[in-house]
Amino acid sequence: MITKVKKYISQLPFARIAYRPMFSTLLRQKYAMTVLILQIALTLAVISNGLFIASQRLDILQRTSGIDENNTFVLTSSGFTENFDPKTSMQTDLAEFRQMPTIIDAVATYSFPFSGSSEWDDLRTLLGNEQNSVPASSYKLDEHGINALGLSLIAGENFSPSEVLWQTESNKTIPNVVIITTSVAEGLFHTQDWSSLVGKTIFINEAHSAIIKGIVLQLQAPWDPVGQIENSIIYPRVVTRNSARYLIRTKPAMLQSTIAEVERHLGMSNQQRMIRKVQTIQTLRKEVYGPDIAAITILLVVITTLSIIAAMGIGGITSFNVLQRHKQIGIRRALGANKIDILSQFFAENIMQTSAGIFIGCIFAVGLNMFLVAQYALPKLPFIYIIFAALCLYVLGILATLKPALRAMNVSPAEATRSQ
Amino acid sequence: MLQYYFKLSLKNISRQKGLSVLISTTLGLGIAACMITYSLIHLMSKDPLPNKSERVFHIQFDNWQLGLAAIAPDLPPDEVTWRDAMNIVHAKQAKYQAANAITWGMVTPADKNIPPFLGIIRATHGEFFPMFKVPFLYGQGWQNFPANNVEYVTVLSKSTNKRIFGGLNSVGQTLPMLGKLFTVVGVLDDWHPSPKFFDMSFGAFYQPEDIYLPLQIKSELELPHGGNLNCWETNIADDYQAILNSECVNLNLWVELPSAQNKQQYENFLKAYVEQQKALGRFPKAINNQLLDINQWLAHKEVVSADMYVFFYLALLFLLVCLFNAASLMSTKFTAKNSEVALRRALGANQQSIFAQCLTETSILGGLGALIGLVLCIFGLQGITYLYPNFSAFVSLDMTLMLITVCISLVSSILAGLIPIIKVCRLAPASYLK
Repeated sequence: MITKVKKYISQLPFARIAYRPMFSTLLRQKYAMTVLILQIALTLAVISNGLFIASQRLDILQRTSGIDENNTFVLTSSGFTENFDPKTSMQTDLAEFRQMPTIIDAVATYSFPFSGSSEWDDLRTLLGNEQNSVPASSYKLDEHGINALGLSLIAGENFSPSEVLWQTESNKTIPNVVIITTSVAEGLFHTQDWSSLVGKTIFINEAHSAIIKGIVLQLQAPWDPVGQIENSIIYPRVVTRNSARYLIRTKPAMLQSTIAEVERHLGMSNQQRMIRKVQTIQTLRKEVYGPDIAAITILLVVITTLSIIAAMGIGGITSFNVLQRHKQIGIRRALGANKIDILSQFFAENIMQTSAGIFIGCIFAVGLNMFLVAQYALPKLPFIYIIFAALCLYVLGILATLKPALRAMNVSPAEATRSQ
Repeated sequence: MLQYYFKLSLKNISRQKGLSVLISTTLGLGIAACMITYSLIHLMSKDPLPNKSERVFHIQFDNWQLGLAAIAPDLPPDEVTWRDAMNIVHAKQAKYQAANAITWGMVTPADKNIPPFLGIIRATHGEFFPMFKVPFLYGQGWQNFPANNVEYVTVLSKSTNKRIFGGLNSVGQTLPMLGKLFTVVGVLDDWHPSPKFFDMSFGAFYQPEDIYLPLQIKSELELPHGGNLNCWETNIADDYQAILNSECVNLNLWVELPSAQNKQQYENFLKAYVEQQKALGRFPKAINNQLLDINQWLAHKEVVSADMYVFFYLALLFLLVCLFNAASLMSTKFTAKNSEVALRRALGANQQSIFAQCLTETSILGGLGALIGLVLCIFGLQGITYLYPNFSAFVSLDMTLMLITVCISLVSSILAGLIPIIKVCRLAPASYLK
């Protein structure tokens, strides 16, 4: 039985390759082999590190903000005449938006994810307790805020209209109820039993106390200078100013038509103001994540081009070898080697070269990563990216060898009899 | 002789068209990748105020609360308070001094055909203009006004002047805005410093403002605080003056000294100033003044993001792969020429002339590579301005960069070809002549 298996194995093409002569052939082309192996090694280093950086950026891009990004837009209404009344104008506008059939809800706010500016408050559960301070970006919304942003309230309840404070810009009174995100709740109380937290008191900026009225699943900060993008707190406040920013959420697929309708409507309703900065959340998102999108694009272009170049290099050397060894191939064929033997010989050569390149490449990849970690505080490269890049290079190598190897396979045994 | 080598090389190249194009393209790709990333770093870190940048300083004070850091780990805030800005500017200890901040307000032109608009305003002391060599089309800026005596004057950007006055010389005209009547004293020429070093709160490559006003007007008309407004005190009263008198920082404070040697002297002045303020009960932390010249300030703000350097290093490795690739292709190319070289040797050409001929051939390939590289560079930089719209103000391929590209291409083609050339020169002709 065992002898049978052994015999079977010895019949397989790869088992029949004469490894030792092949090895010495490769060693005889020292220059070409060194250059090829170094090329594969560097490619591995760049591809593994590049893919790693790109995938990290992709993670950032795939974060959700907690709001209905696809169906929301914002615009600013700036009053400029002396008798312009910001509060009345705001109330009229919001009432009109809210009864338009294509609009789900609307709210006046300067803060929303991707808006790029907000205040950050310092929250704690006990006064004077330095350890337990949690930073949170502050949102000022009325009772329509949660619906307009499309947040999911998972514990407690929404603000009631009577709790909402209408304030001028200089009035900084903090309301006595707030809604927080799960991330803030967990930071403050270290628990995930959300409903148990409703009704608890927290302290804001060491000066004010407020009761938690509700908890929303997710609401990202408008900008994140502290690395706590999920931390937000909502106050039932509306600040009236001459320039009001409205956030409007439409029914699905009604975004563009609603924008046009709202612009037309506002243009006619009040001549004491002008409408500017009409932007969809999608465009703002693209602006905010622009550098990450750019980084991913650049890295992918580099990786793709590099792979093509490496494949061309491997393919080039193999076709050159096939050309040079025409006669040897003919002799081998004449002495009894079949087509598969020739084919597998070239593939085996390629796999040997790629393996050597990958071996050195691992060292390069780790070295490059160590440099980037030290210089630019990048995270450490997980080994899986090296393995993935190595697999890519094997596939690339085999694909690049395919054409010249097929040509070698079809060299006729008669070549042996021809000279040069 | 050179002409003959050249002719021979062209003949060879056209015979091995595919291979030659491949070699040049490979080189071109590697060079383009390197040059695109290099030119970004080069352009982003360009000195925005040549000949002067080492004398113009950005001032920071650490007026933060004991035990708290304005910027981790323990750096002073980037901006200064209203009080400090006014004190330092009015002390007049430097050649020029100016504090500035961004704000905005409604501009309501007298001509009813021009719709009112929200103007983005830079409120600044008048010495801002000579200190930063701001170019004027018409008129000029204003002097630093004394504390309680400010005139309602304004300087317009070129595009704002076009919008309101049709681009004509508007010096002396009046312009109603912010509910007051202002007199235009100057109109700027095109001015877009990149990086916008004097205030980077909206990013280093943000567009310049529409309108310039004396800083004191910001307080008189209680204009909004744009840019960064950072406070650490928790119980600031609600009125506008309270913010100005608080420890809230919002202003960028700049001075120009007569020469870089005066820095020590000026630092002593700042130290004495902070000590005097400490005596008044301010500045709870130890003295931590920062006086950075423009280039130090740009480095401190990390204007060239880490991303750009990472791309550059990856592009360098990319070029190296392309070089190895070109080297192996060259080796193929010259091995295929073995019999031709042998024939020339047999007919009397010596090793030097073979070497010279092969070198000419590689240099031509390098030149072609440079051409391909330049074209790719132009497209690549276009792509970059598409990916980073803010960069479009300064991204362009200048003469120096083009020259560097051509040089790198020639050098790399010769590097890639050197070993194959030496090998082909040293081969014994006899065995190839059979």
